[in-house]
Amino acid sequence: MTQKLRGRSAAASLFVALGLLLAACSGSGVDQASTDAAADAPAAECGEWGIAMHAWVGYTASANVVAEVAKKEFGCTINLVQLDEAGVTYDAMEAGSVDVVIEDWGGGRWQEWVDRGAIVEVGPNGQEGLIGMYVPKWMADEYPDITDSANLNKYADLFKNSESGDKGAWHEGPPGYTTIGEKMIAANNLNYKAINTGSEAALMTGFSDAQKNKTAFLGYWYTPQYFNAQVELARINFPANDWADAAQASGLTDYPATPLIKLATKKLMDSGSPFATLISNFNWTNEDQNSVAADIEGGTDAAAAAQKWIDANPDKVSAWLG
Amino acid sequence: MSITSFANPIKQIKSGYLILLLIGVWSILALIFKGVATLEIPTYQNSVATQVAGDAASSIRGNRTKSAIFIYFFNPIRLFINGFVDLIRMFIATPVPGSIIPVLGWLGVIGLVAFLVYLTSNFKTTILASLLLFGCGLLGMWTDTMDTLAMTVAAVFLSLLFGIPLGIWAGLSDRVLRVLTPFLDLAQILPTLVYLAPLALFFLIGQASATIATMVYSIPLSIRITSHAIRSLNHSPVEASISMGSTTNQTLSKVQLPMSKQMIVLGINQTVMAALSFVVIAALIAAPGLGKPIVTALTIRNVGDGFVAGLAVVFLAILLDRSTSAAAKTQLSYVPPSKKVIQKRRISMVLMGIFMAICIWLSRNVLWAAIWPQNLDFSKPVANITNSITDWIVNNLQFFTVGFKDFISNYVLNNLQLLLAGSPWFITVIMLSILAYLIGGIRVTFVAIGLMILIISTGLWYETMVTLTQTIVATILTMIVGLILGIWIGRSQKADKVLRPFLDAGQTLPAFVYLVPMLGLFGPTRFTAIATGIVYSIPIVVKIVGEGIRSVSSSMVEAATSAGSTAWQIITKVQIPAAKRSLLLAVNQGLIFVLAVVVIGGYVGSGALGYLVIVGNSKPELQGKGLVAGLCIVLLGIMIDRIAQAGAKKYGN
Repeated sequence: MTQKLRGRSAAASLFVALGLLLAACSGSGVDQASTDAAADAPAAECGEWGIAMHAWVGYTASANVVAEVAKKEFGCTINLVQLDEAGVTYDAMEAGSVDVVIEDWGGGRWQEWVDRGAIVEVGPNGQEGLIGMYVPKWMADEYPDITDSANLNKYADLFKNSESGDKGAWHEGPPGYTTIGEKMIAANNLNYKAINTGSEAALMTGFSDAQKNKTAFLGYWYTPQYFNAQVELARINFPANDWADAAQASGLTDYPATPLIKLATKKLMDSGSPFATLISNFNWTNEDQNSVAADIEGGTDAAAAAQKWIDANPDKVSAWLG
Repeated sequence: MSITSFANPIKQIKSGYLILLLIGVWSILALIFKGVATLEIPTYQNSVATQVAGDAASSIRGNRTKSAIFIYFFNPIRLFINGFVDLIRMFIATPVPGSIIPVLGWLGVIGLVAFLVYLTSNFKTTILASLLLFGCGLLGMWTDTMDTLAMTVAAVFLSLLFGIPLGIWAGLSDRVLRVLTPFLDLAQILPTLVYLAPLALFFLIGQASATIATMVYSIPLSIRITSHAIRSLNHSPVEASISMGSTTNQTLSKVQLPMSKQMIVLGINQTVMAALSFVVIAALIAAPGLGKPIVTALTIRNVGDGFVAGLAVVFLAILLDRSTSAAAKTQLSYVPPSKKVIQKRRISMVLMGIFMAICIWLSRNVLWAAIWPQNLDFSKPVANITNSITDWIVNNLQFFTVGFKDFISNYVLNNLQLLLAGSPWFITVIMLSILAYLIGGIRVTFVAIGLMILIISTGLWYETMVTLTQTIVATILTMIVGLILGIWIGRSQKADKVLRPFLDAGQTLPAFVYLVPMLGLFGPTRFTAIATGIVYSIPIVVKIVGEGIRSVSSSMVEAATSAGSTAWQIITKVQIPAAKRSLLLAVNQGLIFVLAVVVIGGYVGSGALGYLVIVGNSKPELQGKGLVAGLCIVLLGIMIDRIAQAGAKKYGN
């Protein structure tokens, strides 16, 4: 046993010696070979920044376009970090793990972090989000009056499933998203039960199966979303909120349209990095985003899809560079 | 003795009738009082307890930059762990500053791993380990695999740093073991996603929180196995050592530790596996590694992409499992090797060392050996094949699966949910208490009542009962499938050979990988969450049942066979009764595993507690509710575990 151990310790010391040898000769051959290639890249004055990545493909499109521009134009190092929306992301920003949210729907949930000086509201990104309750297109064709919320109770039986008991199933949005389903059901006196679907993947599967198999499905959805180009959906129209009297306005009868907001860490905005300028200036439309998102969903690599749009829209990009 | 064993079956039958009677009464009451006093509150509304928790959480968040305990305690720990993980990552995963590669390129890592595995075990395992690592590269997952490996190494190292000394202490002192045991029990039934949020509150989002969360899960294992190793030693060498006048320290270092080395290496094996099961969950709080592509794949519903990354996790798991358990086996040989063997071993070791040196040199000086070549990336074809197979399964089985889901939901799930969640809370509490008494006796009944009162006071009673319903249904279905498969592999070596790789892979394949196909098969429903729980817990149940059936003495089986019993009679009359203890253990483990994925079920439509935990992570105004929901899962877990264990004790004898 001891002899064996001695054999081992000999091997181990060999190993340690090798390690020391390696540590001694710093700088690898691979680096020397690649310095020539790296020479024409712009100086790394931009720094290293993280963009929070959220679940929906539209977000992926925006984030990749910004990341590609930052890398190509300013030589920034950009990390794309997958994170849940809102709370988790704001905490990550405060912790310094990420610096940018390129599209936030959260409607001011970030205030606490802004007050603490961790996050800065950078302003709208040019897109407008519209959340709502949707049915697959075939239902709107078959039952034309279904898109009027006043008729929803009439069709409640169609939407009954194993989850909803004797009411219609109302598939609520994913956990992090702004959802007011339970309040809408109450405010509109609907005979529906809110089902917590749990993820966007669950809703997409629900809608595409419903359209394909001609089954009923009522669920939370929104634009801009590339998915709307794949599976046609129809929005249910609820009575609009009466915002004339703020105290009276329920805010519960339907989702209002939301301008989408950019958020960044104070650290980034104070850094003087060209990336901060890019984030301040970044601005595009729902159509822009959809075109990139559709390519990504079609199987194109996200960075390549972003590059394709950048090449096609030099004017818009140069306006962001400041 | 003979009297009790004769009386026991009668008692069992009696309590069986009583339980049926109880359920009958309960059903009638539930139908009469349906929906009254269920304590259900809307998702967006906070209860008193959740409001308090939410306020506390937000004040902790606000104090993170100001309070002394953060500046002098939590933040230094976080910075230290961050730095430690970064250091290891820089060695194999992330580029060294000013360079484009880590210290070791891919070939260098394979060379190093091969050398380390050879050093601690044998040649066969070395080849396997190298091939598996190479496989991770072929899957196009090299960098992510290295990130995961780095995080695992960091977490395991820190776990062992605390776990082994504590384990030795607990092994030597009964008092320490008594103090530690409740914490060890708790840490093992605590679903991982539950303590992620509170940890992130203190250690922020990032790899430090992920590493600490991993440690919370893996330290108890290393403590437990180390202390068990010390305790289960043969006493005579220890006594001999003491009688020869050795000090406690000498006895420990010269006798007890060397003798329990094998067990301790086994503990390292378990710790490694526990750490690896965290890969995906870590990605939810922005930790690097293989979890990232899996989470991304879920959001874009690309099963193939997720599967590729999941497969890399499985490869890494097999690598770490085989190499550590082979190392444990090597420690076993007490026969001193001959001079010739030592000589041979020494030469081969030097050769391996030179091989490693060449690999490392190449990986630092030649591009193809430094960065994984793109034309050796087969992730796309693997993903595409997976996607077409899943599509085919989903399209062709949907009619069947949806029907099955509706059947279970309408006839089992809804009725049970009506009993537990739909009846007035006081009726459920009374009925559950009687049930606890019938199953486990008076002591556990008081524990159960105490826990139920706690749950009610959180304001999340209704959600807890809905989750309990799903847990029970999932466990029953798991046991049905698990029993069939377990008996099969217990009786047939061939079946064991065929199923074993699937069981191993199933135990390590992250549940997130199969969420999307589950959604395709069942839609966003409670049953989807249940099915996820079943898939997750079946491997462990099958293994325990199989082990139990196999360990039934062959003479009993032969006697029954020669007496002319049919296979069915042998199974029901001989093997199942003789393996009762294993079956009860399987039920208990099945329950705990099902409960462990309750939160993951929240992603696919389970609603209830799992959903609230997820909501709490992203909606700041509901963070308190998420934290309290996590607590309720824990309370529920303790209640189920206690009742099941008391029942097992009562009927296991």
